[in-house]
Amino acid sequence: MNVFLQSVVNALQWGSFYALIALGYSMVYSVLMLFNFAHGDIFMVGAYVGLFVSTALVGLGASGVLALPNWLILVLTIILAAILTSFVGMLVERVGYRPLRKAPRASAALTGLMIGIILQTGNLALLGARRRSFPTLIETTTFEFAGVTVTNTKIVIVLVSILLMIALHQFVRRTKWGMAMRAMAYDFVVVPLMGVPINTIAALTFGLGSALAAVAGILFGLAYPVLEPYMGILVGWKAFVAAILGGRGSVLGAGLAGFLLGFIEIFVALLFPSTFRDLIAFSIVIVILTFRPHGFFGEAYSARLRL
Amino acid sequence: MSLLRIENLTHHFGGLRAVKDYNLVLEPGQIRGLIGPNGAGKTTVFNLITGVYRPTEGRILFEGRDITGMRPHRIAALGISRTFQNMQLWRHMTVLEHVKVAQYSQITYGLVGAFFGTARRRWEEAEIERKAYSLLEMVGVARWADQVVTNLPYGVQRRVEMARALATEPKVLLLDEPTAGMNPEELKEMIDIIRQVHDRLGMSIFLIEHRMRVVMELCEVVQTLNFGEVIAEGTPDEVRADPAVIEAYLGREVEVVA
Amino acid sequence: MAENQAQRLLAGLRSALAEVPLLGWLLGMVAAVIVEYLVGAPLARALGLGRVPLLFGVDLLFKSPLLVPSALAYMVLVYALPVGSVALVTRPLANRAAEKLMVLSPVVSVVVHVAVFYVGLHSWALLNDYRVLVVKLTLLAVMLTLSLNLVNGYMGEFSCSHPGFMALGAYTSSVLTVVAFVGSERFGPPLLPSALGPFLFPLALIAGGLVASLGALTVAIPSFRTRGDYLAIISLAFMLVVKSLIENLEVVGGARGFMGQPDWAGLTTVFVWAVACVAMINSFVRSTMGKALNAVRDGEGAAEAMTVDTRRTKMVTFLFAAFWAGVAGGLYAHVMRYVNPGGFGLQKLAELLAMVYLGGLNSVVGSAAGGVGFMLFSEALRPLEIYKWIIIPVLLILVMIFRPTGLIAFREFDMVSLVRPKGAPTRRRGVPHVAAQD
Repeated sequence: MNVFLQSVVNALQWGSFYALIALGYSMVYSVLMLFNFAHGDIFMVGAYVGLFVSTALVGLGASGVLALPNWLILVLTIILAAILTSFVGMLVERVGYRPLRKAPRASAALTGLMIGIILQTGNLALLGARRRSFPTLIETTTFEFAGVTVTNTKIVIVLVSILLMIALHQFVRRTKWGMAMRAMAYDFVVVPLMGVPINTIAALTFGLGSALAAVAGILFGLAYPVLEPYMGILVGWKAFVAAILGGRGSVLGAGLAGFLLGFIEIFVALLFPSTFRDLIAFSIVIVILTFRPHGFFGEAYSARLRL
Repeated sequence: MSLLRIENLTHHFGGLRAVKDYNLVLEPGQIRGLIGPNGAGKTTVFNLITGVYRPTEGRILFEGRDITGMRPHRIAALGISRTFQNMQLWRHMTVLEHVKVAQYSQITYGLVGAFFGTARRRWEEAEIERKAYSLLEMVGVARWADQVVTNLPYGVQRRVEMARALATEPKVLLLDEPTAGMNPEELKEMIDIIRQVHDRLGMSIFLIEHRMRVVMELCEVVQTLNFGEVIAEGTPDEVRADPAVIEAYLGREVEVVA
Repeated sequence: MAENQAQRLLAGLRSALAEVPLLGWLLGMVAAVIVEYLVGAPLARALGLGRVPLLFGVDLLFKSPLLVPSALAYMVLVYALPVGSVALVTRPLANRAAEKLMVLSPVVSVVVHVAVFYVGLHSWALLNDYRVLVVKLTLLAVMLTLSLNLVNGYMGEFSCSHPGFMALGAYTSSVLTVVAFVGSERFGPPLLPSALGPFLFPLALIAGGLVASLGALTVAIPSFRTRGDYLAIISLAFMLVVKSLIENLEVVGGARGFMGQPDWAGLTTVFVWAVACVAMINSFVRSTMGKALNAVRDGEGAAEAMTVDTRRTKMVTFLFAAFWAGVAGGLYAHVMRYVNPGGFGLQKLAELLAMVYLGGLNSVVGSAAGGVGFMLFSEALRPLEIYKWIIIPVLLILVMIFRPTGLIAFREFDMVSLVRPKGAPTRRRGVPHVAAQD
């Protein structure tokens, strides 16, 4: 029982990472009908941006210029890194995807893969192969309920992710921009004719997705404080799998499937050697798509932004 | 025995009923027409006959054989060919390739021939090419044989599509608005081609049309479809005079008469 | 006046060169290789190159750019001049020979041409081990590019599983050859006398190809049941599954890799397989059955209405492509004599896609050019280390933006019309040139 509950806690944490990243895949798909294959590496970029911002803020405190409490540093890091990374996302859209909007979709997929490689290699070239460690912003406190250990880091991770998902929901539902996004997801051809600026919406979608990925990167850094340039590949592909399982273009589905994937992986690790995690995660996507080609929440051909 | 027989065909899209209780008897060598306002379900009827959709209810018999629910390529190979309202030519392929590929079901050299280039394949490919050229000549587009279709004028594309449909060696030809978007001269040529196809190849033809003039010139019997139901059937003159048809086209009379 | 004369001379040269048949060029190539053997080393020293430029000087491009002019001079003296002059001088002879061969049988003519080409290539490569390796890998690259083009270009889907198929072929054939002929601590002594090995090696490769096809079936069944971009997703998952599976298979060394493959993938073997692959795929895509594949890509609904069994067409093509990827993987394992699952991941996929899309979609000629060009370019960029993986993606993105179908798209070749003699007007009749079908 304890093992089970412990696994639930771990699954929630991993699910948070997957869900936050999967949201970005799904939003871009629903609005532009393409997979942003560079998204996993944007997660990596976000983690690094978070690393630099937080290191700088911690440095300010150490040199006595501006001593901030750790929780404020974390909040500022999340906000600043999200904003900076969203610019990276918009840049990727502008340079890599906008010129290809009328090209075959395979070209866009290929471009995404290539941008991902550029981001990885660029990071390697700029910062070297050395792994970097994320500063400790939360002094780990461990709580114990009924034999299950929960760290405050895990609580923060899950809470922040859920808060962000609710915020995204509200944004898409309530604001003018959110409505424009939903409209574009509904009809790519007509809506641009109705005065909705397609380029702005595309940039906004990439920006939002990248911001969420950046937050996921920072939260990842809190839990596993070692960063390296290729960290985005596997996590990114798994989040992609979650986005597919959720149903392409379904934001709610992507979030839920992210958590589902977290659960599957953690419980697989209970039964099998942990090296089987990837194997089973990717096998499941093949099996599920065989029997439910549109995922859990998706529809054939339509890619509505539903939440 | 009638060539094509449709009994009580009904089709729903989700909650929307597109075709209701549709019946048809097409005799060998007959030319029939299907008219009706936009969205009446005419193309849906074609898609049901050719197996693109599986009907919710009803049966389709071709030469006495039940073809309901068969996959499209099998139905096509049995002898029902079609053209499309928006043509659906293959945009990277040449005119000649279009007419060759449509003979797919007649290929017997198999994968061995495709991979290794056997003598049988050479012989069969030569035959396919010969037949392709004769069809292209028949519709008058042979001189564009090596051109990619997207570069050709509209009227030529329409005729390429006709040649492609004929290459499957059909017994029934379904034409979905064969004269759509044509100028009067192209229209006249297309009517000639359709008549030629009918007379020379002895084919049954079932066509959807918007222009009454084409229907008047070609068809022996015409059905009128409105909201998925047949509201009138008879000779073109009878149908044109039918009050129900006039009502269905209300406000669009000019087009019907023209 | 002098300018005019030069122009006339040039025009004369051009029309003379136009009469050189393929056989003439191949003879020129053999001659150039002989010249390299005779004077290559001293000439290279005289030009300050130290040694014979190994890959037409591209390997020097970034390593020592100052030597590029000398390398160019070497190219002209050792390759261009001999090839050009021999081709010109032997023109009447070569045309007569080509005509004789043609009269004898087009098939014989094609075989002779390929053989002469191989003699030239082999002796060129033999000068240096590095050349042999690069030629082998380039031939494999062409096989892989072409087979992937079948799916991504001719069929118009986006498949990511090629590295997975390669891995299946590589491991299957490696295990077979090691168990049967080499033996190891794990697998015990060899089961068969190793003298039989080279004869049974093709069977091991074919087995690898078939296992890859079997893997392809598990991708194809769910992917082609419904229309849409399922293949991209499922094939990607498949590739990662294969990689992860091998990493977990301790029998074949897991993540550490698998070594000890016998040294049977010589240049001749690789060449013969590559020729078989190109010939078969070229034959397939030029047949009406192959053209049906284009129809499926350009309009699946219309293809079905025109009697094309779209599902079967897609399945057959996908399995066929996987088969060749598996064979190429098997050859690769025996060329390197070591494989590890890390080599069949996303990086390999990116390389293969780059070759396909740079070379040109729906194109046999483009795939060959893409494979060769990419390998040369890759060797040229080697001194730049990791920056190579910034330059290649940037280049590919530019190609996608300005030429979304790649550099040489929509081109197959007709071997028989290629080996035809030239210049003699009586021979120009008959089958029209169908090499360029655009």
